[in-house]
Amino acid sequence: MGSVAFRNVTKRFANGHEALKNVTVEVDEGTMAFIRGHSGAGKTTFLRLLLGIESPTRGQVVVNGVDIGKLSRRRLPRYRQHLGAVFQDAHLLMHRTVFENVALPLRVTGVGKRDIGRRVRPALERVGLLEQEAYLPVFLSAGERQRVGIARAVVNRPKVLLADEPTGNLDPHLSRDVMRLFLDFHRVGTTVIVASHDHGLIESLGMRVIELDHGTLAGGRG
Amino acid sequence: MGRQTDPWPAHARPAFATVRDHARVAGESFYFVSSRVGASLVIWLLIGIALALPGGLYLIERNLTGAMDRWEGRVGLSVYFEPGSGSAGAQALAARLEAMEETERVWVVTPEEALEEFRGDTEVSDALDLLEDNPLPASVRVSLAEGVPSATVSRLAGEASADEAVEEVVIETTWLERLAAIAAAVERLGWMLAGLFGLGAALVTLSSVRLAIESRLEELRVQKLVGGTDAFVRRPFLYLGIIYGVGGGVLAAVLNAAALLALEAPLRTLLEGYGQDLELTGLDHIFAGALLGVGALLGVCGAMVASRQRLRGLEPV
Repeated sequence: MGSVAFRNVTKRFANGHEALKNVTVEVDEGTMAFIRGHSGAGKTTFLRLLLGIESPTRGQVVVNGVDIGKLSRRRLPRYRQHLGAVFQDAHLLMHRTVFENVALPLRVTGVGKRDIGRRVRPALERVGLLEQEAYLPVFLSAGERQRVGIARAVVNRPKVLLADEPTGNLDPHLSRDVMRLFLDFHRVGTTVIVASHDHGLIESLGMRVIELDHGTLAGGRG
Repeated sequence: MGRQTDPWPAHARPAFATVRDHARVAGESFYFVSSRVGASLVIWLLIGIALALPGGLYLIERNLTGAMDRWEGRVGLSVYFEPGSGSAGAQALAARLEAMEETERVWVVTPEEALEEFRGDTEVSDALDLLEDNPLPASVRVSLAEGVPSATVSRLAGEASADEAVEEVVIETTWLERLAAIAAAVERLGWMLAGLFGLGAALVTLSSVRLAIESRLEELRVQKLVGGTDAFVRRPFLYLGIIYGVGGGVLAAVLNAAALLALEAPLRTLLEGYGQDLELTGLDHIFAGALLGVGALLGVCGAMVASRQRLRGLEPV
């Protein structure tokens, strides 16, 4: 239950700028795909449309057979509860501990205190930060913060995991570690879509690539 | 065609999950308020003063009405004679009035007794010693039987004023009518102030909650990103409104109690002059509870408006 389809999607902002122009693309369930392109190519808009933050000006964004643009305000939160999202800046709550940050999606869905512990700790263990669960994010490195963001994105066992330049602030070594985590989630059946402009890293993984250029689909691989 | 399965079913919520979340959010809101004691105290004071003013007027109106009720059936007359006319005319009128069945008690206050009473009630005894003659007249005080109709009171007053030596007849119902008019004015003023200051209290909460929302905007965006519903995101601020409102209600009750305490002594002296015991009423657990309830309601309303305004267009990161 993690298929994604863009059907003739155009996104024009209020200032007239067209971030995406008639884009049609499908990502099957369980696929790992990279959206590649230069800065301003439309990668972030692509992901924001998938998250329901933006609505397409024309066309349809379909996830699991449902047009996201037509989701009611009431249903949108429930849809987001089934997604995981990671950003270049991890967007952690700096006055809350690592544990509390990762537990947030579970609190939103009403998971009990005992179950929160049972699910947060394995997620932290997966990203190698179990020992830092009581730390405030301010005491973590950039790579560690990004891994907390990933743990938060996957703690609710999402069907689709989205990431926007997740390695943008990291050195090559840490970037490979983060990508390895995404590969792990892909291997257990999660649909993973990563926006990145890091050609080297993308080529090294040999996964599907969706190439964007000034808002239009410029080809790709896979 | 079969019914399509919901691709994003709601996560199973354990029993009492909502109650537990409310308890957690309430605790966090208490912590938020207690960690900013200075600012919270100012907000409580503003709301407290806004609630105390109409609350105080309500207490005044209730006590005035109570005083009037207690006065019922004790309507009387005061008949004042010409100064220097002596007490003989007063004694004769008193005898006539005492024989009537409408009167319950009649007594004469001689000029000497009036002067002594005046001396006791004021602090001008030295000045009175300088007077050569007693300027005060003799008077007859009449307490009427219970349930005497106002027409009879007017007839008795007319009969008393027919005496040539009588200068003035004062019917105490006039005083009561004025008191009733004052009580009615106080009640109306109370309602007007309740509306105005209630709005003020709600606006204070609205601004305070709005500031709290601004300070936590990043957190709210993240909550929305991970699927927080509007109710989930708004919940802490509604509790904040309740805490501010209830705190303001507690302070309003304290302010009203302090004001009544300060007014008790002078009011007691005033009423004793009319032969009445002071019986302040109204400041009870029901009144205090109503202040807390109104405070909580205004707090929630202010918080609801603030959160709806600010969170409506808020999008995730």
